[in-house]
Amino acid sequence: MGAYNLTVNGQVFSVEADGKMPLLWVLRDLLNLTGTKYSCGEGLCGACTVHLNGEAVRSCTVPVSQAEGKSVITIEGLGLDELHPLQVAWLDEMVTQCGYCQPGQIMTAAALLAAKPHPTDDEIDVALAGSLCRCGTYLRIRAAIHHAAQEA
Amino acid sequence: MEPQGSQEISRRAFLKILSATGAGLLLEITLGGCRETDTPYPTSDSRRTLTPGETPEATSEVTSEALLNENSFAPNIYLEINSKGEVTVTAFRSEMGQGVRTAIAMILAEELDAPWEAVRVIRQAQADPDYGDQVTGGSASVAESFAGLRYAGAGARRILVNAAAKTWDVEPDQCTTQPGQVIHPDGATRLGYGDIVAANRNLEAPPGLRADLKDESTFFLLGTNKGHWDAETIVTGKAIYGLDVRLPGMLFAVLARCPVFGGKLVSFDATQALQVPGVKHLEPVRQAVAVVAENSWAALRGREMLQVTWDEGKNAGLNSGVIREGLGKGFPDPANAKSGTLAGIYDIPFEAHNTMEPMNCTAHLHDEICEVWAPTQNPQAVQTAVAGAIGLPSSSVIINVTLLGGGFGRRLQTDYAVEAALVSQAIGAPVQVFWTRQDDIQHDFYHPMSRHYASVELDAIKLLRINSQESHDIPTGPWRSVGNFPAAYVHECFVDEIAHALGRDPVEIRLELNDQRSQAVIKLAAEKSGWGEPLPPGWGRGIAYHATFGVTPVAMVAEVEVPESGLVRVHRVVCAVDCGTVVNPGNVEAQMQGGIAFGLTAALKARITLSNGRVEQANFDDCPILLMGEMPEVEVYFVDSDRSPSGIGEMGVPPIAPAVANAVFAATGKRIRQIPILSLVE
Repeated sequence: MGAYNLTVNGQVFSVEADGKMPLLWVLRDLLNLTGTKYSCGEGLCGACTVHLNGEAVRSCTVPVSQAEGKSVITIEGLGLDELHPLQVAWLDEMVTQCGYCQPGQIMTAAALLAAKPHPTDDEIDVALAGSLCRCGTYLRIRAAIHHAAQEA
Repeated sequence: MEPQGSQEISRRAFLKILSATGAGLLLEITLGGCRETDTPYPTSDSRRTLTPGETPEATSEVTSEALLNENSFAPNIYLEINSKGEVTVTAFRSEMGQGVRTAIAMILAEELDAPWEAVRVIRQAQADPDYGDQVTGGSASVAESFAGLRYAGAGARRILVNAAAKTWDVEPDQCTTQPGQVIHPDGATRLGYGDIVAANRNLEAPPGLRADLKDESTFFLLGTNKGHWDAETIVTGKAIYGLDVRLPGMLFAVLARCPVFGGKLVSFDATQALQVPGVKHLEPVRQAVAVVAENSWAALRGREMLQVTWDEGKNAGLNSGVIREGLGKGFPDPANAKSGTLAGIYDIPFEAHNTMEPMNCTAHLHDEICEVWAPTQNPQAVQTAVAGAIGLPSSSVIINVTLLGGGFGRRLQTDYAVEAALVSQAIGAPVQVFWTRQDDIQHDFYHPMSRHYASVELDAIKLLRINSQESHDIPTGPWRSVGNFPAAYVHECFVDEIAHALGRDPVEIRLELNDQRSQAVIKLAAEKSGWGEPLPPGWGRGIAYHATFGVTPVAMVAEVEVPESGLVRVHRVVCAVDCGTVVNPGNVEAQMQGGIAFGLTAALKARITLSNGRVEQANFDDCPILLMGEMPEVEVYFVDSDRSPSGIGEMGVPPIAPAVANAVFAATGKRIRQIPILSLVE
């Protein structure tokens, strides 16, 4: 067990945890930030995606010790004062069904747009290949990413 | 004889004066008529959850009362209006992405004649006898409640009109409404609904007051795209699913279960598990062991360190290949079919649900009450099962229904809830029992494996026969579209075989075999897909038709490419749907897209197999889901209809697998009689 200082969505938290505890569970159980979701626990589905120093990572496979000293952005922090363009696009394109995978989809898409502001369909498919959706919202996710890219 | 589209608001309804909140008289309308009650009207959505980001301290109640100021009017149990004209709707079916909360609100607002922006809160009913059986399945929610909700909205509008008319001293029948306002016979003077509620006069319904439904041609909400109500909380991470419930003092638990179905717990050694920091309790729960800890991860680590001995029991040798060979004993060999007869055997495997949110439930047994927070499709069944398991009357079990991260029929079961209640009972604390992905895949209630013998005399094709056998050797249960899935696969693939044997066109033969309403969707799908137009080499088109539960005809044409790799690629699916009156067209399109994705996972990628009594799959690597890059383009076309809405949630699943199999045949000449179609290369 150790004390870890985390900067999450611009706020500093001090948590006491085993250094191996995945960042996902620190967020969900110690900080009550439940927007980041658990679905597979093995980095296979993308539901737990957050940004670590701007990079999209699967928080279920990142030990909290690796997050210390870095900036963590979760879905709750993506659009703090106003909705992120992707969140606006997600609403305009009526993407969500059950919605459980959507925070992970949005976080992955946000990292993509930060690196590639105008991605092609193929680039979207590759970037989101590991973001699973059982409800099948894929067509509208792609449309929302293009929508947000156009608005930028 | 009542005029069509109108219903008397019965005076027999119990008129209840609410307390010092100052609301007016309450008239209760339920689906199908009025009834007497003396249960207090639920005015708050009280679920004890923590605002994300806050640390648990005292109980915090989240209610919708913040929206309702002193004067609010609740004409029935489905809606309330406050003195600003803002509307709170109570949803009484579970939301798993099918859009039911939104649909309920749209129907009420339409007949109430309130602007969509006036609807500010949709609260979720607890398991509450006022709302009848809240089971959400069979794609039946809107179909069953459409008329009743319309009357509920219309009745509320009528009461508001009546109150305004009394204020103006005019005849109610000479007043009209436009969204949110009652209009005086002079055509100019108006009273907003909020002002009527604020005035708090004449809000009781006198005897003989009639509620008239709108003419469908005047609908301003129904038939428009309103998206999903919960979308904003979803995209901001604020939406609360079962797994997100947090209570003061809540612990987290996972269960160690025998990997073989029906196995029994013999013994366990908790020593090492209890040494994991954060692990608090180990409790036997029926034939499982609960590892209870301060956080989810500690519970998982504790379970890893738990030593358990199981008696695997009679299912220890179960093997899905052996089960499959055992099905269809007595089916003739299709190779021996006599000339002029066509026959084939089809196989469908066990399928998992794989909701993105795994099974979970939160329970707190205290003071002879059990509070439950469940992402469930079946609140009353959960209430009954929990009550029975812990030994309380049902009325002492409170079921809070959260959002569901997918349902697909898995959450019609009650197992995940009973577990949580039993663990809370054992430890005397609130607890969230959650399942890992592996738990979820390996302890499902699977879509049953089945084998089917299809046969027909080629000169009497309307007498096509299908004999089917299913395996329930492992726990099985409803899976999105249920028996429609194998029925459609077998029937529609076999019709295609018949067409080929007779040298006939698959669309044209289906027109002969189906009735007029079915023909409409078949023709529309064929037309919009360009049936008959040339495709590139290696591509094929296939059609399938199915009316799930017999109520919603859907035809799909799939365009498929089978390259040299042998991996089937579905490029485009054209759907034609007759779902009756369309409540939220964008949502119907979404349900067709979703049903296609769900069906394609089974058609092309995933199945459940067993060996040595154990499910062999464990996560999304060996039990995959369709990926974004594998999703075809989807076009959805509607057949115009003024039938009542007939249901859409499951209806996109059955036609896709046979449409793809038929397209694969068109592309390759290979007939596929089992799924998943993993590869066309041996």
